[in-house]
Amino acid sequence: MKNLLKLRNVRRVAQVFFFALFLFFVFVTDLRYLKGYPVSLFLELDPLVSFATAITTHTIYMGLMWSLLLILPTLLFGRIFCNWICPYGILHHFTGWLLGKRRAEERERIEANRYKKLYSLKYVILIAMIAAAVGGTLQIGWLDPICLFHRSMSTVILPMINLFFPSSIYVRQYFHVGAWAIGFILLFLVGMNVVIPRFFCRVLCPLGAFLGTLSTATLWRIDRDPDKCVDCDLCLKNCEGASDPHTQLRKSECFVCFNCIEDCPEDALSFKFMPSLQREVTAPAVPGRRAFLGTLIGLGFYAFARTSGASDRNYDKKVIRPPGSVEEKDFLDRCIKCDQCIRTCPTNVLQPAVLESGLEGFWTPILNMKLGFCEVNCTLCGEVCPTGAIQRISIEEKTGTGPFDKEGPIKLGTAFFDTGRCLPWAMETPCVVCEEVCPVSPKAIFSREVTIIKRDGNPITLRRPYMDPALCIGCGICEHECPVTDEAAIRVTAVGETRSRDRRLLMDGGVTSAVTDLEKRQR
Amino acid sequence: MNARPDSPEPLRKDSVNRRKFLLRLGITGALIAGSGLAARKLWQPSHFVPGFEKVRGAQLRSYALEPDKLLPSLAIAHGTDHEKTVRAAMGALGGMDRFIKHGDVVMIKPNVAFDRPPALAATTHPDALRAVAKLCFEAGARKVIVADNPINSPTGCFFKSGLTAVASDMGLDLLYPETNSFAPLSMDGEILKEWTFFDAPFKHATKVIGLAPCKDHNLCHASMTTKNWYGLLGGRRNQFHQHIHSIVSDFALMMKPTLVILDGMNVLMSNGPTGGRLSDVKPMNTIVAGTDMISVDAYGYEHLLERDLAELTYLHKAHDRGLGNIHWKETLHKEVTV
Amino acid sequence: MTRDAEKKYGGGGRKQFVRTRVPVAERVASAVLLVLLAVIALAIRYKGAHFDPNLYAVRTDSLKSTAAAVQGKAGTAPSVAATGIEAAQSPATAVEKPPAAEAAAEGGAEAGTEGGSATVSPVVVKGEPLEISLPGTKPMGDTEFYNSDNLFEKIDGRAPAYQSFNIQGLRCRSFGVNALPGSYVDVYEYRFDNPIDAFGMFALERDPKGGPLDFATDGYSGEMGYFFRQGAVYVQIIASDEKPETLALARAIAQNRMKALPADDKGLAGRRQLPSAGLVPDSVAYVPENAQGLSALKDVFEAKYKFNGAELPFFLMVSTPDDAGKAWKSLQDFCNQFGKSEALPDVNGGKIFRAQIFGKWKVIYVRGGEMGGAYDADDATQAGAFVEKYLRGELK
Repeated sequence: MKNLLKLRNVRRVAQVFFFALFLFFVFVTDLRYLKGYPVSLFLELDPLVSFATAITTHTIYMGLMWSLLLILPTLLFGRIFCNWICPYGILHHFTGWLLGKRRAEERERIEANRYKKLYSLKYVILIAMIAAAVGGTLQIGWLDPICLFHRSMSTVILPMINLFFPSSIYVRQYFHVGAWAIGFILLFLVGMNVVIPRFFCRVLCPLGAFLGTLSTATLWRIDRDPDKCVDCDLCLKNCEGASDPHTQLRKSECFVCFNCIEDCPEDALSFKFMPSLQREVTAPAVPGRRAFLGTLIGLGFYAFARTSGASDRNYDKKVIRPPGSVEEKDFLDRCIKCDQCIRTCPTNVLQPAVLESGLEGFWTPILNMKLGFCEVNCTLCGEVCPTGAIQRISIEEKTGTGPFDKEGPIKLGTAFFDTGRCLPWAMETPCVVCEEVCPVSPKAIFSREVTIIKRDGNPITLRRPYMDPALCIGCGICEHECPVTDEAAIRVTAVGETRSRDRRLLMDGGVTSAVTDLEKRQR
Repeated sequence: MNARPDSPEPLRKDSVNRRKFLLRLGITGALIAGSGLAARKLWQPSHFVPGFEKVRGAQLRSYALEPDKLLPSLAIAHGTDHEKTVRAAMGALGGMDRFIKHGDVVMIKPNVAFDRPPALAATTHPDALRAVAKLCFEAGARKVIVADNPINSPTGCFFKSGLTAVASDMGLDLLYPETNSFAPLSMDGEILKEWTFFDAPFKHATKVIGLAPCKDHNLCHASMTTKNWYGLLGGRRNQFHQHIHSIVSDFALMMKPTLVILDGMNVLMSNGPTGGRLSDVKPMNTIVAGTDMISVDAYGYEHLLERDLAELTYLHKAHDRGLGNIHWKETLHKEVTV
Repeated sequence: MTRDAEKKYGGGGRKQFVRTRVPVAERVASAVLLVLLAVIALAIRYKGAHFDPNLYAVRTDSLKSTAAAVQGKAGTAPSVAATGIEAAQSPATAVEKPPAAEAAAEGGAEAGTEGGSATVSPVVVKGEPLEISLPGTKPMGDTEFYNSDNLFEKIDGRAPAYQSFNIQGLRCRSFGVNALPGSYVDVYEYRFDNPIDAFGMFALERDPKGGPLDFATDGYSGEMGYFFRQGAVYVQIIASDEKPETLALARAIAQNRMKALPADDKGLAGRRQLPSAGLVPDSVAYVPENAQGLSALKDVFEAKYKFNGAELPFFLMVSTPDDAGKAWKSLQDFCNQFGKSEALPDVNGGKIFRAQIFGKWKVIYVRGGEMGGAYDADDATQAGAFVEKYLRGELK
């Protein structure tokens, strides 16, 4: 028993604990179970998220302060996050163990864990992302492990589980546009552990690179006693970080997994306080020219994407953002593409965008009314958004009731009739489902009765619907419920959204009180 | 075992000296403290509701002079030569030096909303700008700024209307509406409460002169000296049409110029505000200058556009709100012929 | 690997070395970390259980801001009180709901019913309860009130006829027979705007087989009930069965109502005279003065009759013999002025003249204080025959 109380074993317990916690959070991000659980905790702990958003927004949003809890230990002990806490890292560790060279020759395993120059790529990626952030666009979400893993879970894994075990995750099956790409990327990254152990963590992870940079200042590290060491290289056999513990430890690569300490037959390795600088490689090995190239790529990405105009006047009508979203340029400064909002949305209306909002908006959330609609009294997406791309608005703020009566409701867009496709307008058939489900009072859709002579000569009295743009909140339930399901006869587009001054439809003096009748100055 | 073949120097046991020790401790400590402090400073502990933020804009000061009891506040001059008629009108008001003092920075606001040649009377005529700028310099103005935020492309509008040439000839400061030339403006209008405003030309201005052509307008019936201020607003002005008369009357609240001049030498009688045919233009050979834009517009609508003043809703609104006097005949005015 | 090491530890896949000497510091650190994990788990559990329920629910006191209706935007139950255009294009969708105009006039806007209306309120027709204190009976249920618009809810297809006589309201209540549980008497009091209209409705529904009533001139007893007019009220007393106690109660109630309701026969003299046989429904008109353009013709009742296959306009006036005579003369003079008139033989005390003016025939009589006749007739013979029949009392 005494032998079990070792740091390496505690690390294993921690891995199980945090991975299970991550899965728990992912599962519980549902109105039925959410209660008060801090389901975005891993994202809030992620120091790269708070660092990068601090650059783009000059603020640290609400719960992102938690990342200090991780920065402090990292500055002291190194990249403990990567092997103890990071659920994506734990996944790779586990996959590597499962699929890797377990029974293979020791020699192969040792060779696989030697440091390679390729591992400096993650620093170049980090530099590019920070450069883009300095320019004014947040793109860490592509490869940040927590964002990536949350996104993969939300858009691919959970729907897959639900596909094989119906109603285990969702009440009814959820669909996500373009999920196949996210799925294959996940598969690829996880599968690459067969080729290089901890491939993602060593080669691509920008968070690992960030923590590795912070690790430069650590006061503790794995230290090799050269007098005891017999150069057997067995410490490399299970080295997760490929940090060369057998020579000069690369502090920025070490995952503090304690495997090497366990594996050393001579007890030459230990976790020491401020050992000699000469036996370590303190800073990450990033060639200057690569770093420069990374900066250029990052700034270039920002400039090329921004000048393509998707976030300015040439905005796509289908870029309807969740309620509580900040203005588009600020949104692209904040959204880390974690897709937590997509996970929690009770109607499956939130979808990962592809190119609708430009290159910067890849995998950011937009509403697709064919799949769902925005439920009026729901603010779940804002609750789980860690960066404030979707602000944590209250239901009163969303619906414009109570103390927010004067301001009026948040509008996501405006619905427009396509009367050529509408049953009572074009097909002599009664309907007005749209009016029925319109949730505001007075309704934004009103109808007028008309009697026409049908093709067969018989008269029919129909109600024909009309739209009142001053009242429409763009929730999309009309589009969702319209029986013309392939392309609804009433469709919501982004114009009129209240989050953006540029995209207003109606003139209201510059303030947003949608239901206020300006002539009568009353609601 | 000692040195490995590829290590640079012998690896000795720990002998970190005190200085390095403290230095390293200090660096790490500083990093910890620094990140903590930075986080605390940048922390945003509560959310906001996007789109509903209260924007505090600047207020525009008044550029009007104290009303004069003796000198007229409205002058009408008839003549065939642009410069002579402008001079006559200003002379009737008491001369440009009643308004412009030595050292003034004068901001002349023309109407160059469209890229039209001057003959089509859709924009301020270059001869009018030339005459007014000349008078300003004669009165001792240090600098004359010309600026507008057109509907068509700014460079095209200024160029084709002939104003770019005047500006370069006379050394006027032509300011284009650039990305950073705008700032929010607050006012307590009937409709306009807060809007983005072309404020760059006003940064150093001490006097403001509105120089507008006299035009028919499809929506609000006429575009004269009051509607001229539309060109100072930015953002999505295309929403103004939903409440056009209230908003145009709000302009009279927003801007209190030193002087307005209505160029009625050639009037756009139909198909305004863009015009496009010489047949739309009628020579009325009149310049109207005054301190009250409502009075000037009242004269212009009746006598230059030759229409029924009862139609001009925005003017009546502005009068009812006390922003000007629609009954120009009751004010101190003078009519001259060149 | 060095050779020695390889000899000692090389080969094979299984790890051969397990570290056993664990420093105390490490054990302590391990224990602390495990405890830390447990604390984290507990903290998360606590956070999960304690949360603000307003995150997921709408706060009811926030809804107070929606208490006032929005002016200028109609609710889904369209308001007839709104613009005429709207009303024309959207008649009430819920046919059962009465138009809001009446309700608004009644006052008291209540919260929307299941129709989900923004500004329409249910009709609240108020009035004094129908109280009858007689031995052997107690009221069953409350008094029901109806106005012209919702009358059909009570009497269904008969309502249009009542509306044509300008009904003002119905008050009705059931009274139980104490001695006979299950037996009851229904009392209907239809209030009209004047006795003439009440009479008109009464006369329309009159059962020719009904027996006369000793306590009401305009009344009759029918099967299981009593029907009469008192003042501007048309009363129906209907028994639920033919048991003697029930019928006795019905009669007692009828007499009670006769006494309770105020008498008013204003203007009925002429109306009563109009025969019912062949009367075209809804054609009775009351012209207070200047009937047919003559100042002498006052308080005139006009009606159309179906007589021998054609429609015949008929009128009469009840007054003093003097005035009746003057009116008859002035009409004759008028006819002579514009046409030709000739005297016809007297019939049953009535003097008659026949005239043709403007292509139409008139046959006018005067008898005592009553004058009248057929007018605007196409066929002189038919007109004359009708008047003669009337004077002879053959038309009832």
